[in-house]
Amino acid sequence: MTGFRSWMPLALMTTLIVALGAYAAVRQDAFLTNYNLGNLLLSTMPLALVAIGQTNALLVGGFDVSVAALMTMCVVTASFTLQPDKSWPVLLVGALALIGVGVATGVFNATLIRVLKLPSIIATLGTLSILEGASLLLRDHPEGFINADVIEALNSSVSFVPYAFIGVVVLAVVADLWLYRTRTGLALRAVGLDDTSSRRLGMSTGRIVFFAFVLCSVMAAAAGFYSAAQVQIGSPIIGNYALESIAAAVLGGASLAGGKGSFVGALLAALFLTEISNVLPLFQQPTEYAQMTIGGLILLALVLYQGPELVARFRSNWVGVGRLRARAPAA
Amino acid sequence: MSIPGPASPVVLTLDGVSKAFGPVQAVRNVSFDCRAGEVHALVGENGSGKSTLLGVASGFLAPDDGSVEIGGRRRRRGSPAEARRFGLGIAYQTYSHVLDLSVAENLYLAVPKEVQPAFGRMDGWATATLEEFKLELPVNAVVRSLSLAQRQLLEVVKALLARPKVLLLDEPTNALGPAEVEQLHELVLERGRAGVGIVYVSHRLPEVLGIADRVTVLRDGVAQGTFDAAGMTEESLVALMIGRPLRHAFPERDSAARSTDVLLAVSGLRGDRFGPIDLEVTKGEILGLAGAEGNGQVQFLRALAGVERPTGTASCNGHELDTKSPLSALRAGIILLSGDRTGESLFPVLSVRANTTVQILRRLGRWGFLRRRRERRTVDELVRRLRIRMASVEQPVQSLSGGNQQKVSLTRPFLRGDVKVILAEEPTQGVDVGARFDIYDALRAKANEGVAIIVKSSDPLELAGLCDRVIVMSRGRIVDEIHGDDLGERRIVEAIVGSRVVRESA
Repeated sequence: MTGFRSWMPLALMTTLIVALGAYAAVRQDAFLTNYNLGNLLLSTMPLALVAIGQTNALLVGGFDVSVAALMTMCVVTASFTLQPDKSWPVLLVGALALIGVGVATGVFNATLIRVLKLPSIIATLGTLSILEGASLLLRDHPEGFINADVIEALNSSVSFVPYAFIGVVVLAVVADLWLYRTRTGLALRAVGLDDTSSRRLGMSTGRIVFFAFVLCSVMAAAAGFYSAAQVQIGSPIIGNYALESIAAAVLGGASLAGGKGSFVGALLAALFLTEISNVLPLFQQPTEYAQMTIGGLILLALVLYQGPELVARFRSNWVGVGRLRARAPAA
Repeated sequence: MSIPGPASPVVLTLDGVSKAFGPVQAVRNVSFDCRAGEVHALVGENGSGKSTLLGVASGFLAPDDGSVEIGGRRRRRGSPAEARRFGLGIAYQTYSHVLDLSVAENLYLAVPKEVQPAFGRMDGWATATLEEFKLELPVNAVVRSLSLAQRQLLEVVKALLARPKVLLLDEPTNALGPAEVEQLHELVLERGRAGVGIVYVSHRLPEVLGIADRVTVLRDGVAQGTFDAAGMTEESLVALMIGRPLRHAFPERDSAARSTDVLLAVSGLRGDRFGPIDLEVTKGEILGLAGAEGNGQVQFLRALAGVERPTGTASCNGHELDTKSPLSALRAGIILLSGDRTGESLFPVLSVRANTTVQILRRLGRWGFLRRRRERRTVDELVRRLRIRMASVEQPVQSLSGGNQQKVSLTRPFLRGDVKVILAEEPTQGVDVGARFDIYDALRAKANEGVAIIVKSSDPLELAGLCDRVIVMSRGRIVDEIHGDDLGERRIVEAIVGSRVVRESA
């Protein structure tokens, strides 16, 4: 990553996380407890994972709005395959089934987008509907408990930091290094920035977009595990992760036009958004404010991050004129 | 320049290639080959199929018929990656840069995986590469910040990175000044001496004759033969490029309708890719705008229509023209018939009726409701007058032929009584011959009503037949003006292909 503009989202998110945390810590003793911080990090997990997945889709210039429905589908699947009385080998297969649902959904989305050339937002909207219907068919009301040992394993932590959170931090850092320090990462960004040029340069743009959407769904399936660990029952209603994952990715620096983004940024933004929901109850404020705040933040992020670009593009017209004028001899 | 003997191996062969885009046959049964070490030029007018042929050779376009061999290997599935593997490098006319990435990153993406350096050494490698090709560019700058000339030279370097056996250059000098043209030719000829076959596509004949060993001429997608460049002159090439026997009946020029009143006056107008331009167009005049593609004609027209923002002044009918937006241009009586008909002029899914009356709905309505019978009468009359052929006025315009679509967009200036200037961009592109003449008649009819018309066209025959006066643009400036008895197809083509560098003192 080069230049201030690509670091700004990371810096801004870190500042906001620390500022909000400091404010909460000073005003409420309950915030800075091992219990609350551990809880905060754990409840960040689903959004963090799905936001990292969504960043992939945004990087190649698409959206995946089916992620929330896929997470729901995974929770519902888990309520069948990860039931309390199962033995470990059976549970392992059950876990693989969840990942299988993710891969299948990803391949389905990617096929719609690359082979049938549907706009990603429409394609994944269709998938969303299908998955939602299927989830309701399997569980029309919350039932089917999820294996407590599995939940415990997912939630295990060292001090107050869950192992899973350490894992996702490492994942995000490695993914960012991959994105900005390797050939394939560069290729992914190039495809998102300019599909035609990338094709002319001999890249297999189709394969790259395919890969990005499958990865997005697999990450959403991984997020499904942590949703399952949170709700602990086969519920057909899981949160509004489609919008929130896009929000987190964009707050973390992803461009809606493709080609720009940061996995670490998405993770930080996910942490910040979860922190808002975590802090509000401490001040006896209704959590509905969280939703409104998130909406406002997305708009703010778009203006802050992409505003300079829009202004630059607008100005470049005038600069171009100026340059011509400077070059041309007096008429 | 090394003249390769007949023994030089053939590095690129196109055999019987045909390719159509929808109803337009872009190239028809063209065969072409390039030997190692030669510069083989491909010339032809705009739209004669040069770029299509290159697209097929490079694997970006799949031919409908015919085969491609690169370095003796026959292509299976066409893809740019495969063509590059076989030893083909191409510098695209519209470039293959990812504008938001740096020079180094763009170079890096352009080399085959096998010879790519480690990612961490990219900047150093890019610097060394640019030095090798004697190109001075900051490797960390984003390509968007480079000038068009720099982008062009970078594009050629990118094409050479894979050490190709054959190099295709599509109009490589459009954005270049004379010194840069020299630099480019030096680079290219050096490769040629090293045994690379070079296919050089250009409409600039002096350049072509200066650099090429052989020349193949295309006209309307059909090869007119391959010749030794040494035996050719600009004139003989022009004759092959146009050589149309057909003489059509263009509408009569009615000198009585023309006045000396200046309707549109432009002075010192500058914008992206054009300027400064000084120009006057009188009432009832049809002015042609000629030039090779990409020399600022489109930008100039669009600036007048308020679609792009220029500096300098333009006035219409004595009032200074406000080019802030298309709306303010329309208010001043300037109407643009965009070359991108379905993208910018028409609503493709709406009916002929809706497309015709969309700008004058207020006139046809009462208390906010449309009076359908009145609307229908208006549309029917125009459909008859412009000879629009269709099944029903309720048919969506996207189902009409190109010519009839163009006629539908032409209905609008007929409906607006306040139109003073019509800017027509490629009014007959993709239009069949019959409909063409209906369109010429319609434009002439408007001119006879006292409207000033500027026609931007890449068809010199059309300009010669239709216009009262033709100006030729090159690199954003007016370089020639043709009128009176001088005005002929051949003279226009000569002005375009001969337009050597007139300006430059940067």
